[in-house]
Amino acid sequence: MRILTEQLPASRAGRPRTPWVSHLFWYALLGLASLVTVLPFLWLLMTSLKGPTDAVFSLPPQFIPRDPTLNNFVKVWQQLAIWRFFLNSLFVAALTVTLNVAVSALAAYPLAKMRFALREPIFYLLLATLIVPAELTYIPGYILAVQVFQYHDTLWALIFPNVFSAFNIFLLRQAFQSVPNDLIDAARIDGANELRIWWQVLLPTIRPAVATAAVFTAVTSWNALLWPSLMLRNRDLYTLPVGLTALRGMFTADFRLISAGAIMVIIPILVAFVFAQRYFVSGLTGAVKG
Amino acid sequence: MSRSLPNRLTPYLFLLPALLFMATFTLYPLLSVAYLSFTEYDILTPPQPVGLENYRELLGDAIFWLSLRNSFTYLLVTPVIIVLAIALAIVVNRRIPGIGIFRALYYIPVITGSVAIGIAWQFLFDGSGGPVNGALLALGLIEKPIVFLTEPRFTLPIAMLMTTWMGVGYYMVVFLAGLQAIPEDLYDAARIDGCNDIQKHWYVSVPGLRPSIVFVAVISSLSALKVFDEIYVLTNGTGGILNSGSTMVFYLWKQAFRLQNVGYASAVAMVLLVITLAFSIGNVRLLERRED
Repeated sequence: MRILTEQLPASRAGRPRTPWVSHLFWYALLGLASLVTVLPFLWLLMTSLKGPTDAVFSLPPQFIPRDPTLNNFVKVWQQLAIWRFFLNSLFVAALTVTLNVAVSALAAYPLAKMRFALREPIFYLLLATLIVPAELTYIPGYILAVQVFQYHDTLWALIFPNVFSAFNIFLLRQAFQSVPNDLIDAARIDGANELRIWWQVLLPTIRPAVATAAVFTAVTSWNALLWPSLMLRNRDLYTLPVGLTALRGMFTADFRLISAGAIMVIIPILVAFVFAQRYFVSGLTGAVKG
Repeated sequence: MSRSLPNRLTPYLFLLPALLFMATFTLYPLLSVAYLSFTEYDILTPPQPVGLENYRELLGDAIFWLSLRNSFTYLLVTPVIIVLAIALAIVVNRRIPGIGIFRALYYIPVITGSVAIGIAWQFLFDGSGGPVNGALLALGLIEKPIVFLTEPRFTLPIAMLMTTWMGVGYYMVVFLAGLQAIPEDLYDAARIDGCNDIQKHWYVSVPGLRPSIVFVAVISSLSALKVFDEIYVLTNGTGGILNSGSTMVFYLWKQAFRLQNVGYASAVAMVLLVITLAFSIGNVRLLERRED
């Protein structure tokens, strides 16, 4: 699916192109709508650039800084290791994605292509877990983390509870089902074992589905707030959302610094979005549809 | 040809890691939370069974009922988000230069994360001179600025607005895919039958989008029932003055992790589970009926 890029399906291509001017109405509408989505971010950006003599809140509100400065960014950068929050988030997202996709793809293969006694019961058990809200598992999950695994206040506590995803298993199972059996049989005749078939034959053919699962898992992990804020006490281990919450607590009165921090936290995901727009959109919508 | 034992074990070995993680992080917690809901527990000392005491207490707990009501009120986000997302999808579903940029702009709130967005929204609605107050004053709709963020009756509506704003771009893409699957002939037929531009969407686009609408209704209502982040970031973790913004998950979190009433919070969790289950079963019924 390439919704965000400009390729539209053939059905529309046959229509005569209307002149640019008649699009004016639509541009006005589109512009108005983008103002609604972008204005809050622009407000953050403008506030973060305001100098000490600029009013953050005033009536009528002042939008553009008269005394623009980058000092707010420097100050936040000096007082809070945002780069470390970034690395923590990156570590957690990368490991969650790798483990989750590997475990899901392993489970999806037999569900798609093998016949065995417990296939139906296991399939329905997995299906049933989709209904359980993750928030429900946080209480026992917290007790497990503190009393059994004793990995609270480590980044592993953010990774392991998110390795299992019934969503991704179904998504990848569907993808595996569309791989022709001949391909698998041919590999078996060549003497490959099942693990090798999975790795060398199946995974490469379902790469788009893997990308979809990976992006969905990564964005969810990247923006997670509730569970990480329960697990992390050590400031050096904060992820970006937890760090930004702490930053807001630290600079309660200084909205210029808070917005500078927020802008710095937004930048990485925005950059990723600009470069991999297509994967983001198909990943986020595809995963839920699968 | 009979298969050897290792061969027969293969599928289970492939499934083993997933099943282990599922058992540890989903099934065990589910059973555990059910058990804990019948106990009094503060994590430090072992749980004390108290029978139905927690549930009895819930019945008389005004904040619990408020949270339940708020969670149901939150479901109003679903119809609003569906209408807005369909309208937006219709608007961006045209071949004009630069349309890709607009689509991307509408998608940004989907990926930005609730904490940064919550901060931006606190600025927008600030009582001492945020842009919303500025605009309302300039339009002459209000006499003096409204202190939105500490006014109990505004806590939930602002959070709902934020949820809508964060989600609409995502559902727009779902509907856009749905629109592009509608055959062009249908629109031509509608035009021949004398439909104007608005009628043509009402009679062709909306029926054509029905599967997407059901899908979005299911997804967005389930996530509305579980809302937490928006409340947490907008109220700085307080739930709002007089708990005005407390929802089921927020109340669960507060009882378990702020007040250490883990048994009581587990009872709240069980209520949430029952509601989600009922909702999911209803949704499945709805989906099946639509497919007939």
